[in-house]
Amino acid sequence: MSKLRVVHYINQFFAQIGGEEMADYKPEYREGIVGPGLALQTAFGEEAEIVGTVICGDSYFNENLEKATAEVLEMIKAAKPDLFIAGPAFNAGRYGVACGTITDAVKKELGIPALTGMYVENPGADMFKSSVYIISTKNSAAGMRDAAPKMAKLGLKLAKGEKVGASCEDGYIPNGIRVNLFEKERGSKRAVKMLLAKINGKPFTTEYPMPDFDRVPPCPAVKDIAHAKIALVTSGGIVPKGNPDHIESSNATHYGKYDIEGVDDLTSDTYATAHGGYDPVYANEDADRVLPVDVMREFEKEGKIGSLYRYFYTTVGNGTAVKSAKAFAAEFSKELVADGVQAVILTST
Amino acid sequence: MLERMVVFTNNPMVRDALSQRDGCKVHYAPVSYRQILCLARDAVHQGHKLLTHPLSGSVKPGETPYKSVAVSQEKGLLDLPSLSLIENSIVTCDKFPIRSKSKDPSLQEDFQLVDLSLIMSIF
Amino acid sequence: MKLELGYIHIHDIQLAAASKVENGVLYVDAEAVKKLVLEDEQIASVEVEVAHPGESVRITPVKDVIEPRVKVEGPGGMFPGVISKVDTVGSGKTHVLKGAAVVTTGKIVGFQEGIIDMSGVGAQYTPFSKTNNLVLVVQPVEGLKQHDHEHAVRMAGLKTAVYLGELARSLTPDETETFETLPLKESMDKYPELPRVGYVQMLQSQGLLHDTYVYGVDAKRIIPTVIYPTEVMDGAIISGNCVSACDKNPTYVHQNNPIVHDLFAQHGKTINFAAMVITNENVYLADKERSSNWSSKLCEFLGLDAVIISEEGFGNPDTDLIMNCRKITEKGIKTVIVTDEYAGRDGSSQSLADAHSSADALVTGGNANQVITLPKMDKVIGTEDYVGIIAGGWDQNKHEDGTIDVEIQAITGATSEVGFNYLSAR
Repeated sequence: MSKLRVVHYINQFFAQIGGEEMADYKPEYREGIVGPGLALQTAFGEEAEIVGTVICGDSYFNENLEKATAEVLEMIKAAKPDLFIAGPAFNAGRYGVACGTITDAVKKELGIPALTGMYVENPGADMFKSSVYIISTKNSAAGMRDAAPKMAKLGLKLAKGEKVGASCEDGYIPNGIRVNLFEKERGSKRAVKMLLAKINGKPFTTEYPMPDFDRVPPCPAVKDIAHAKIALVTSGGIVPKGNPDHIESSNATHYGKYDIEGVDDLTSDTYATAHGGYDPVYANEDADRVLPVDVMREFEKEGKIGSLYRYFYTTVGNGTAVKSAKAFAAEFSKELVADGVQAVILTST
Repeated sequence: MLERMVVFTNNPMVRDALSQRDGCKVHYAPVSYRQILCLARDAVHQGHKLLTHPLSGSVKPGETPYKSVAVSQEKGLLDLPSLSLIENSIVTCDKFPIRSKSKDPSLQEDFQLVDLSLIMSIF
Repeated sequence: MKLELGYIHIHDIQLAAASKVENGVLYVDAEAVKKLVLEDEQIASVEVEVAHPGESVRITPVKDVIEPRVKVEGPGGMFPGVISKVDTVGSGKTHVLKGAAVVTTGKIVGFQEGIIDMSGVGAQYTPFSKTNNLVLVVQPVEGLKQHDHEHAVRMAGLKTAVYLGELARSLTPDETETFETLPLKESMDKYPELPRVGYVQMLQSQGLLHDTYVYGVDAKRIIPTVIYPTEVMDGAIISGNCVSACDKNPTYVHQNNPIVHDLFAQHGKTINFAAMVITNENVYLADKERSSNWSSKLCEFLGLDAVIISEEGFGNPDTDLIMNCRKITEKGIKTVIVTDEYAGRDGSSQSLADAHSSADALVTGGNANQVITLPKMDKVIGTEDYVGIIAGGWDQNKHEDGTIDVEIQAITGATSEVGFNYLSAR
């Protein structure tokens, strides 16, 4: 049997081109193994061969996401691999995002088995763990020796179309897909062991993490609502008709800020929703149903509130990563505070 | 002590068994399992409290067509635990595919009987 | 309370002219068993079959599995309040025919379930492919109502297990094991340094085919209470639960409760296994509040530092599980919970119907929706007619070559929520 062809992706640092000062390095294809590819090749043994390595600077990739992805994909495609491996990126954030992005693109657009590796807290892990296999690595390059055999093993499974085991068996970051496995000890014994660890304050790993409970304690009530400046913020996707900033209908990567000075009512001629995943008819008929500008103006006139803030912020909640949503809010909250907004009404779909 | 209740059910056996029972009103509707959950949800929205677990029984949604859920006759402010439980139950129900055997005529009596037994277990 | 279990190892069951145990072989007089079972006028006929590990045999639809045991010293008899008088059991000596089991089968409702394959892929998923099984195929008299039918089959299994257990009365065990739980104060005095650990067992208690009995009392009528773990070994808890084969606890699993056994294995070494609490999983929501209030109150009252909580079932019991976990944790007691999952065939759905951040230490019996293909078996004890109807089967699941696709929820004991099996998920 001929060896499986593997293409490897690494950044400028691991290619020993340079550090941050060389992060603008444009994509380049080199024949054969470069840098950490050696450890992977050793792990592959006779079963697979790294035929080429794509090198790209982290800044270049992240600042030219679409262009860089296309360029890198082209190089990978030309090498006709049976398997693609990116990284591992360990705890390098931009490298992690690049590895995740390109692995996802290779899998989806080229249909070639692909995986990457990184530390669980790498921002790229959260972004891509549910779309591609990410081998869980240590947080520094010292973890290469550990990571390489795992990446090679899972890579070979994927390339051969073999069944992938549970995350704890094949070493990938849990991706939300539950996979059964037979343990060496029965459940009751595992429960007793887990309890002993918990009693003794030792680390233990639950076999099923509860869904994330990100509870935010409510702010104290606004004391004088009749004089408060209130803003409207929505994840319901209400935008000026035509969606001038092209907010995505799902997995939004940005938000919009729009001036509603002098606007008393959102009409079907002027506003609509960019949100996918729900029936938009009622929102498009009258966007006030999602973003109640009309009522806020009435309250303003009646003196029930002090004033409605001049701008509203909007994005699409549909499938948008919590991380992205948090980043949006962290950014515009500063503007709200700076402009003296005292309360925000948040609406969803 | 049981509260006075309204039982939403699509199970004729439950309708017949409870219609004369003190403290019990039966709201019978020949609709789907899920629609019974939705009727209970609507009642919760109107301020009734859930009295029984919407996912009673080990015969999963989609396997049995029958469901009976009791809510309080008394109406108050929105009961948040009830709301959360009924909403979660509808979400859970939706993850189970409907199996055509649930419609098998030879099984209907058994399905009805088990559903009846689940609701009767509270008395 | 102290109990010695004497194990007589059984490596084979054979039908014979007279019932006896000899050289590890359980010989069973099938006619005697039939006569015993047919004492119940509600039963029209019964077939007695044997299934050994490794054979090409499928048993379905399984109702209950029971281990033959006999009390040889100490008060009471097996299955108190049901077969024997309601004496308090759990002390003295009990002999066990280890390696043998009575399996009852019979269609009570049309969507009943429970598959035990003695070989092949399915055998890996059920603990009862490793036992030598005496199978009762029970047919009721015509027109017998489901409640009476369930009761008749339940009793047939228990009576047969008691009959077989009696054969061990005068035998010398191959191996013995002793379990002791001291009264509260003595236990504290004896192990002052060890963390006090308890076990909270939730019992299925929702109605027909969803019932459990404690000393003969329907578990939905109890408020949570304390039981010595050794009482359970003498059959104080029996199963009337026939739905959801993968995660129900057959009587055999109550008798051999693995959490009890694995806590005893650490008792006196790393922990003081001080107490066992039983609670229920009722349909009425106020019952859930009351029962979880009581279970947490009992754990506090017993001065426990940590507990394992086990569930039985899915959906409704998930609410009890989370309530128990949350309220016991709020008492400052550390918890580990044992459950299983319904994450869909592709494993992508939410696994449990309820959740809480206090449930941060969870052991799972695996995803019950996983699909496996069972091979054709040479012999079927019972009938395969219902395989397409039971929870784990679905439409057109039987192929031309005789293989059957099922979700593992159809397999008896596959995703045990007391950790009796080795399956898990990540």
